[in-house]
Amino acid sequence: MKKLIIVTVLFISLSGCSKHESNEAPMSLVKVTHPTPSLINSDHRADDSSLLNDIEKDVEGYEELYDAAIVKNDNQILVAYKVKHLQRFHMKKIEKKLTDSLEKKYQDEEFIVSSDYKIFLEVVELHEKMKNPDYNSDEAEKKFKKIVEMQKELT
Amino acid sequence: MGGQNKKTPDQEKYQQLEQKHETKRPVLKNCIRAFWVGGLFCLVGQAITYFYIYFFNFTEQTASNPTVATMIFIAMLLTGFGVYDRLGQFAGAGSAVPVTGFGNAVISAAIEHRTEGFVLGVGSNMFKLAGSVLLFGVFSAFIIALLKTILINMGVI
Amino acid sequence: MLKGKQSWIFNNRPAITSTGVSGGPFEANGMLADDFDLLHEDLWMGEDSYEKAHRVLMEDASRIALRKGNTEKKDVQFFLAGDLINQITPTSLSARSLEIPYFGLFGACSTSMEGLALGSFIINYQGANTILTGASSHNSAVEKQFRYPTEYGGQKPPTAQWTVTGAGVALLEQNTGQANVPVTTSATIGKVMDLGLTDPFNMGGAMAPAAADTISAHMKDLDIDPSYYDLIVTGDLGKIGQETALELLKDKGLKIDRDQFQDCGLLIYKKDQPVQSGASGAGCSASVLYGHLINQMKQGVYKRILVVATGALLSPITVQQNETIPCIAHAVSIEMQV
Repeated sequence: MKKLIIVTVLFISLSGCSKHESNEAPMSLVKVTHPTPSLINSDHRADDSSLLNDIEKDVEGYEELYDAAIVKNDNQILVAYKVKHLQRFHMKKIEKKLTDSLEKKYQDEEFIVSSDYKIFLEVVELHEKMKNPDYNSDEAEKKFKKIVEMQKELT
Repeated sequence: MGGQNKKTPDQEKYQQLEQKHETKRPVLKNCIRAFWVGGLFCLVGQAITYFYIYFFNFTEQTASNPTVATMIFIAMLLTGFGVYDRLGQFAGAGSAVPVTGFGNAVISAAIEHRTEGFVLGVGSNMFKLAGSVLLFGVFSAFIIALLKTILINMGVI
Repeated sequence: MLKGKQSWIFNNRPAITSTGVSGGPFEANGMLADDFDLLHEDLWMGEDSYEKAHRVLMEDASRIALRKGNTEKKDVQFFLAGDLINQITPTSLSARSLEIPYFGLFGACSTSMEGLALGSFIINYQGANTILTGASSHNSAVEKQFRYPTEYGGQKPPTAQWTVTGAGVALLEQNTGQANVPVTTSATIGKVMDLGLTDPFNMGGAMAPAAADTISAHMKDLDIDPSYYDLIVTGDLGKIGQETALELLKDKGLKIDRDQFQDCGLLIYKKDQPVQSGASGAGCSASVLYGHLINQMKQGVYKRILVVATGALLSPITVQQNETIPCIAHAVSIEMQV
């Protein structure tokens, strides 16, 4: 028992010294963050921004989930969200419902939908980085692609 | 075989008498303990999963593999230090059902038969408790997968 | 001399001139730690396997018994002993170093009284002048063979018993009329009883009928009443077995006081030690009798005792094949010669 406690404490203290540079990202698993959607490459920034805001409203309108992080690159839209704890049993169903309705409503766009914490974490981190003017869109795109790849990877 | 089906009247009578004196398993207490300890194990597992998600490039999907490995590693240490068997006596199914219980079954057998050498001792006895879990686990997974394939091909699901 | 159906009377009263008892660390924390001649600090006893440690236990107890009895091993005619491990190798290996002509006995946990009864019989009829007899068990070695690996985290039910790490050896000699020495006066050999119990974690319950049968046969053969003895002590029935045996004896019409009926498996450990229903193992009755009880007799607490060692004659294979547990009990009567 003692050793179990020691191990738990070890992990808690380890996660204290985080390597993440941004402030908001590490807390995004515990807190509801409501990040503003980001755009990486876009020809019509104004239109796209309002489109993303609409999508965020739609996604957060679902009562099974809370908190959505959205990022758009070209015509790929990555939607990461957190499912309410007791709804986690229906995770697959929610994902399908969400994807179907988004694809139906915004037919020109390609959606990548994920309820994975890791994807959420990475998207929030991407948001944070893009606030920095030194962070150029090439790097952002690279990170975006990495996230998409991670989402597709399975056990 | 001295099968349980053909009890003589004497045996029947004695077993009733013996039942009277037998200490009953404290089922409710065991369940509560198993619930708490089992839950605690899962809490640790969840913490490790988050650890891998935060600090490494694992998603919730892929973090389960290193988590299981880490839990088994911890179970190995606890078994070697002689803590896990005491925990098992206290928690029962709470420590036997999670993957750590499986690890303990393998590791305890390996430690036990170390004295008979590496090949005929450790090698051949390591899975004497866990071997049937592996065999029937793999076998039933095969059957279920086969059924699913057939049903999908038939268009039922 | 045969008396009744299954009992022997030892008219020449073979004497238990000395005893040797060794134990492990768990016994050192028990109730009877003071009655052990030697207590090892750890279960390995300086050996590299538990089976070898088991052998050391037996060798230690034998050596101590010989030393306390001022006897050289070459003066001992026979060595009658056994244990629980496959082919009783720990005992046979200790017989190798003792270099005494040897009978290997197996009666599971009843081995101690099987050896004492046979030894007394041989001495009684001048088959030998000096005999060494005893039994031993080692918790980890026995658990390894009969149950699960020692570090396996399985939950034992409250009916389970804890195998004693210990050995008890007695030096039996011709009675030369010396005073203040315990002597064996009679023995009853039990028959195998099987009342259909199959749970290897409830041996006390399975062995109780064998104990009750042997005790009542002893009383009947010798035509005596339980009140003849100051103490009737069973080997390793544990809580459940003891209560059951007491009720069986009452059903047979034998009057035994609760205080007069004790169990080695309940005497050896403290109440707060995690032994579930009590102690068991071949070393249980051997170490408690040859340590604690003989000391008590010498101090005058008891004059006549009847020791009934019970054994469950099962093997891991019979359990897996759903065979019921056959049980046996042997009784030896020990009296103080004044």
